Amino acid sequence: METGELLLFHVKVGDQVKSGDVLFEVMTDKIDMEVEAPADGVIETLVGNPGDVIEIGKPVLIMLTETEVMAFDFGGDAAAQVETAAPTPPPVAPAPVVAAPVVVAPVAPTPPPVAPVVVTPVLVAPVVQPVAPVITPAPIVAAPVVTAPKIVNASVKAVPKARVEAANRGIDLRTVHPTGPDRTITFSDVNSAQIDPAVLKRQAANKALIAKGIEMTRGIAQASFNRRAHANFDHAQLISAWAKVLRGRPDIAVHQHVGVSLIIESKYGSALPVFRDPDLISVEELRTLVTTTSDAAKNGKVPIAMLSGGTTTIFDLTTYSMSSATPLLFPNQVTSLTIGYDSESTKNISLTIDLNICDFYDGALLLDALIASL
Amino acid sequence: MSDRMLTMAEAVREAMSIAFDERPEVFLLGEDVGIYGGAFGVSGDMYHRYGSERVLDTPIAELGIVGAAVGAALSGMRPIVEIQFSDFTAQAMDQIANQAAKIHFMLGGALHVPMVLRTPQGSGTGAAAQHSQNLEPWFASVPGLKVVVPSNPADAKGLLLAAIDDPNPVIFLEHKLLYKIPGRDPVPEGSERIPLGVAKVVREGKDLTIVATGIMVNKSYEVCEKLAAEGISVTLIDPRTISPLDMQPVYESVEKTGRLMVVQEGPAHAGFINEVIAQMAGSSSFGSLIAPIKRLAGMNIPIPYAPQLEKAAVPQIEDIEAAAREIVKNWR
Amino acid sequence: MSANPLLMGHPLSSTEHARHALLYMCRIRKFEEAVEDLFGRGMMHGTMHLSIGQEASPTGMCMALTIQDQITSTHRGHGHCIAKGADLTRMIAELLGKEIGYCGGRGGSMHIADVETGNLGANGVVGGGIPIAAGAALASKMMKKGTVAVSFFGDGAMNEGAFHEAANLAAIWKLPMILFCENNKYGMSSSTEKAFAIDNLADRGKGYGIPGVNVNGNDVVEVYEAAQIAVDRAKKGEGPTLIIAETYRWKGHSRSDKNLYRTKEEIEEWRLLDPIPKFIARAIKQKKLTQEQCDGIQQEATDAIVAAVNEAVKAKAADPAGLLDAVFKKVSA
Repeated sequence: METGELLLFHVKVGDQVKSGDVLFEVMTDKIDMEVEAPADGVIETLVGNPGDVIEIGKPVLIMLTETEVMAFDFGGDAAAQVETAAPTPPPVAPAPVVAAPVVVAPVAPTPPPVAPVVVTPVLVAPVVQPVAPVITPAPIVAAPVVTAPKIVNASVKAVPKARVEAANRGIDLRTVHPTGPDRTITFSDVNSAQIDPAVLKRQAANKALIAKGIEMTRGIAQASFNRRAHANFDHAQLISAWAKVLRGRPDIAVHQHVGVSLIIESKYGSALPVFRDPDLISVEELRTLVTTTSDAAKNGKVPIAMLSGGTTTIFDLTTYSMSSATPLLFPNQVTSLTIGYDSESTKNISLTIDLNICDFYDGALLLDALIASL
Repeated sequence: MSDRMLTMAEAVREAMSIAFDERPEVFLLGEDVGIYGGAFGVSGDMYHRYGSERVLDTPIAELGIVGAAVGAALSGMRPIVEIQFSDFTAQAMDQIANQAAKIHFMLGGALHVPMVLRTPQGSGTGAAAQHSQNLEPWFASVPGLKVVVPSNPADAKGLLLAAIDDPNPVIFLEHKLLYKIPGRDPVPEGSERIPLGVAKVVREGKDLTIVATGIMVNKSYEVCEKLAAEGISVTLIDPRTISPLDMQPVYESVEKTGRLMVVQEGPAHAGFINEVIAQMAGSSSFGSLIAPIKRLAGMNIPIPYAPQLEKAAVPQIEDIEAAAREIVKNWR
Repeated sequence: MSANPLLMGHPLSSTEHARHALLYMCRIRKFEEAVEDLFGRGMMHGTMHLSIGQEASPTGMCMALTIQDQITSTHRGHGHCIAKGADLTRMIAELLGKEIGYCGGRGGSMHIADVETGNLGANGVVGGGIPIAAGAALASKMMKKGTVAVSFFGDGAMNEGAFHEAANLAAIWKLPMILFCENNKYGMSSSTEKAFAIDNLADRGKGYGIPGVNVNGNDVVEVYEAAQIAVDRAKKGEGPTLIIAETYRWKGHSRSDKNLYRTKEEIEEWRLLDPIPKFIARAIKQKKLTQEQCDGIQQEATDAIVAAVNEAVKAKAADPAGLLDAVFKKVSA
């Protein structure tokens, strides 16, 4: 309650009033009230108008009185209030009495006289910013979310001590077989759980990758890294091989199908035809499709059916004499590839991954698998 | 150490008598506490030993009685007020919750209320819904009240002496089924106090921690004995004072056993024992739990009359035993 | 800062007594006016219940009490506190939420108590103080202190169970207690006509087997005389008395209100029965005070309130740091 609405005056300028006479009415969020004259006197000025919303402590009318009034010395901070309120009455002359103090009296909410609470701004740290490595061994469930430097796995039921133990030992609770009621992981389940050698390997690999230094791009949770590819391959071979690799990791590919987007530049701009499940047809068939589609795209014609459904994207930089690039991932895509030539004219494949979905080790596995299959 | 086996009624009477002898300002007032000896015989012969001025029979006027006790406490006396059934404290709640509990704080510490309000509570007597409640949460949720729930005669004596010494209002909730039965442990002679706010570890084990209040301590104890014979060892903790509450032994025990079960007679919903669970859930000992916390409490119903219904409404020994077995078996 | 000296005796028994009666009534009046002013300036938190118009009742009652005699008071309790001799600065400081306030800012207007002057505290619950006063009287009797306990309450409290239970206990135990009802005609907005089926509230005394007397609560002399009889009776061990002091609050129930439940004419009638000029006229007529003395006493009261406000305003605000320590009194080793 900091204000009151002045409803109406019961007096006008020049009126003689007696102590206790109603001067005006105010409405607040707590109560409607009549404000009485604090002393006998004459109304000199009406400061506000009916309908005005008036702050507590501000004058509403000024009256003159010959009655002695109490003049307090509020000093310090309170002085300002006194200034707008009641001036000390001169010894003889009629003293102006500001009725304001009485005005909002019934409701005045002084800030409670307690030590002020200082609200300091808190910086909210981006959830994935310092991206700690997270181990996600061949998960059954899709999309493990990296939000904390520890394995949380809140979707897995486990007793508190099992979680503590699992965290301490680096055990992913999803790998632990639950024997408790309602498929809850008990402490002894974790206690007797063998750490999967693959997990250990992965842990070591991730550590090694981090030690090498991973380039973080554009401050979001994606990372790119390179491999030299000595084999020779064309777009069809690359698309087919990459689709095969991704199909082996449904947890990363996310979608029901694999859709490889190939970026093709033309005088009309970039076109992104999508090759759906290209690994399910022969490379020869695919090559024909890639060639006809590329030609069509260069003329600005891509069949509508091929304009959606991409789950990964390939950028060919070989014509730009660039070795690699770190593109932003398209929405809902976890990976993208770039191919280019390095200084020794060797083909270079660069993989960009979404760190919210997979980790460095996943990336390394994918890239190794791709290069091995080319 | 003596080997005197007293009932809780005798132990409470002994504590009051010691306090009467030690301090002239201690007196007892309540309905039928005088020549009748108290509805449950707790004051017994005190009227004859201390006279009608110190064992003061009152009209049936709970609000007036408690108010008079508050006023007397503010003015130099140390009243012990007996309310015949805890259910009737509802009549006196203004004086308990708005006056006694708040005076010290609200008046800036100028005054304090050294008053003990003793009252029998609990089911099992067939007295039905208005004479059988466990009202711990009514009192435990009011800052400014200390609340004691003794489970045995020896504790009742020491705790009551400490309550009478205490400069604050203390609500002393005695289970009426415990009045007539001797405790497991002898009641020491003398006037030794048991400090308020200190829990008691009744027995120690490694498989399960049970925290129980009042009569449920006794029921749980029997379960502990039975399970011990089968190789299941249980730590049993009696908070004794529920406000303030001493959680330290509970944390320490749960860190060893990893399993916690809480037992109270009062209804489960918003019951006092939930506070034990809440504090455990927020503590650093939470990570020691290898089992979900098990709560056994009364049904969320008024206490019914017929014996089989009354029994079904609150946890029985068999319930405690089954729950204890299950938690130990299922969670390892 | 310390308790104000009390002067016992008939308000017209000497110049000194007349001065005391006038000074305390004026202190109460000026205190309430100052509170209203502070509230209007937004300097006071919460709420307030003013007793302007009722000053003669606590003043007359307390002139029959020693400093050891105890009182319990009400939500409209500033007057009782002042009449019993409380320190004005600490009272104002409490209303302003200051550390030096009677409750260290924890109680505010409705919970001022002062052990030094036997004030067991104002009370936010209607009727809450009545059984407590009975208990204080019980302690006095048991400890043979020779003191009396007065419970101030309003007409509204007489329909609370607490009144009934306490009156009955005090009566059956013949406690040195006075049940002092300031009948200001309204329990918030409910008139006594609506809330009682009896015309004379003092008749309730009969129901408890105790005297019930009516006095003009705006006449400090009449109040004192009835109070003195009740105190004598209580201290002789003859039990409690119910005093009904007929008076009127000029202001609204709390802070202020729109007076929907009463007429302007009624308020105006009671303003004409202002206890202060009434006593001044009588004191001058009986040559206990001169007009000049009365003017001086009124000025003295104003000065005391102004000084109290000025000092309280400067005092340190109450500190939340100590809140947890204040719930229980420490158990001494």
